Amino acid sequence: MHEMGIACSVLEAVHAELERYPGQWASKVGLRIGEFAGVDPDSLRFCFQAIVKSSEPAPLVLEIEWLQESDELQVAYLELEEGTADDTASAGMSEEVCA
Amino acid sequence: MNRVTIEKSVLSENNRIAADLRTALAASGALALNFISSPGSGKTALLEKTLEMLPEGMRVVVLTGDIQTDNDARRLAQYGYPVRQITTGGTCHLDAAMVDAHLGGWLTEGFDLLLIENVGNLVCPTSYDLGEDAKVVILSVTEGEDKPLKYPGIYRKAELVILNKVDLLPYVPFQRQLARDNARRINPEIEIIETSCVTGEGLPQWMSWLGARAVQKASAGGERTVCVAAPV
Repeated sequence: MHEMGIACSVLEAVHAELERYPGQWASKVGLRIGEFAGVDPDSLRFCFQAIVKSSEPAPLVLEIEWLQESDELQVAYLELEEGTADDTASAGMSEEVCA
Repeated sequence: MNRVTIEKSVLSENNRIAADLRTALAASGALALNFISSPGSGKTALLEKTLEMLPEGMRVVVLTGDIQTDNDARRLAQYGYPVRQITTGGTCHLDAAMVDAHLGGWLTEGFDLLLIENVGNLVCPTSYDLGEDAKVVILSVTEGEDKPLKYPGIYRKAELVILNKVDLLPYVPFQRQLARDNARRINPEIEIIETSCVTGEGLPQWMSWLGARAVQKASAGGERTVCVAAPV
């Protein structure tokens, strides 16, 4: 099942983006997944929830936009909140799972 | 709340490595093919026949992926070409980093053709660019004619379908024309070659396709010539 790898790649993208916004934490990440991308959205949600469940101050929410007739697999946007939470914790990265 | 637009591929790191590989392969004029199919469709047997029929002097290297065992690498190594097994240990696909890591010094030494046998799976390998020139999907007549409809992603991305094990057609209720039509419903441009690795049917056509692509790539890559015009 490659959805765990996909989930980790999404989190890596979130981390990379967060470095540009010090003092903010990520509350939601939006994905666009095409029907031909070879990714099962339910499996991806399951994997994603598993690796962000301990994120602070709140679990990072994954929102998926499903695209017909497309093979797109894209991190579309990130929603950031003002705050002082540690960036690593706020993005919910589980080093053990994604290493 | 501040919404930041990213619009970046989830697999951007894989794609970066694949792009580097593609650049290196383009500079050397080497052709790289990524073979994808469900388990048991005959990928390894097709590669065995391919290695057997390649003209003498062609520099070929092979990477073969499996979740466990090096059985396929040992089978393919019998033909005298360098072969490396990528054992993924549970991962259901090859990614560009695995290919890059296992190419080792081959890129420096130079080769004409890289054959990559992916892990047997029609879903996950579809997502990962390996820097190849073309994906080749193999469908055997012991599978359903509706495989292209069930797994459209790989049929959209592949350039060629090898319809394999046609020697078994008298014994299985497989409608070859329906399978061909289904593949072209998903990808009208896709080429189809019917083969049997038992009787040899269709293998000359496959070798011609391969040879033409290798010559095309070598011509684009520089002055080097590739001996592929007359497969044995």
